[in-house]
Amino acid sequence: MNALWMGLLAIGVVVAFITGNAGAMVDSVLDGAAGAVALMIDLAGVYCLWMGMEKIADESGLVDALAKLLGPVLRPIFPSLKDCPRPLSAIAASIASNVLGLSSGTPLGLKAMKEMKNLMPPDADEPSDPMITLIVINAAGFCVFPSSIVAIRAALGSANPAMIAGPTAIAGIAATAAGLLVDKVLRGRYGK
Amino acid sequence: MKVLELVGVYVFPVLIVAIPVYGWIKGVKVYEAFIRGAEEGLGMVFVTLPYLVAIFVALSCFRFSGAMSLLSRCLQAILTPLGVPSDVVPLMVTRPISGSGALAITAEIMKARGPDSPVGILASILQGSTDTTFYVTTLYLGSVGIKRSRHVLAACLTGDIAGFIAGYLVWRLMFR
Repeated sequence: MNALWMGLLAIGVVVAFITGNAGAMVDSVLDGAAGAVALMIDLAGVYCLWMGMEKIADESGLVDALAKLLGPVLRPIFPSLKDCPRPLSAIAASIASNVLGLSSGTPLGLKAMKEMKNLMPPDADEPSDPMITLIVINAAGFCVFPSSIVAIRAALGSANPAMIAGPTAIAGIAATAAGLLVDKVLRGRYGK
Repeated sequence: MKVLELVGVYVFPVLIVAIPVYGWIKGVKVYEAFIRGAEEGLGMVFVTLPYLVAIFVALSCFRFSGAMSLLSRCLQAILTPLGVPSDVVPLMVTRPISGSGALAITAEIMKARGPDSPVGILASILQGSTDTTFYVTTLYLGSVGIKRSRHVLAACLTGDIAGFIAGYLVWRLMFR
């Protein structure tokens, strides 16, 4: 993360000086900082809504029920969580939300991260194996119906806006599978 | 496909009624529980802010300095001879870095070439094949205060590339 962050900044600044883009870059960097805050303020309401719902579901036993229902599916992907119903049910709810295209996917994913953090020593500064697996699945962003693109296609007058859904799903499955494979291969090398 | 669209529209209202009603039947103090959960949600948002500011600043610097279009041009030189339309190369470079930026490029391509043109279809497929890797990674790790990333980015970016390749191959088979 250190090298990546420094690298992006350093390459950006050097290129900006060479191409004479420095002025435009300064504006965009300030926009980027403000944009990060604006984005999270936009999302805060959605996060509060779904985390509130999650708490009700948790206290009424729905979260445990979901873990029992989907546990057998998730355990092979998250072997180290096999006796941990709390993170498993959050992961299950998050993935189900993403596949259906619900806005609850990300807040529930973060809830799962929190539950997995609770299983680690308090001073741990590296992500655990199941954390990485969850991030890989989410970064691949597989969803059954890519609604935002379909909406734009429809607005631009496409004769069949949804025809890209099938090919998109195939590409999404490939992205997920490749990510999980690389995760599995590299896991041992970077240690626990 | 219509069915899937409808599921998306109706699952949401059903959930936000069914969860509290079920909780209420089970004797949960639903309003209090909701507030406690919402507080937790607000906490998540605040914890992740510094991480997101850090990555957004670095990515903006890279993107708007011209470094990203330089990278696009290098990739175009390699990919165009292989049959990849040069219009979609900037889209592939932007996709892991900025979700809204990539969506804007996709919309532009479709506006210029038509949503049902081969290039428009390919852009749509590539846009949907993966999510905004840098944002997702930073958000998830930041939410639990973790600053080291092990092999997360290597795995996620390989996933992105695999998604692009698969999307391109499907497009070649079906739409060209």
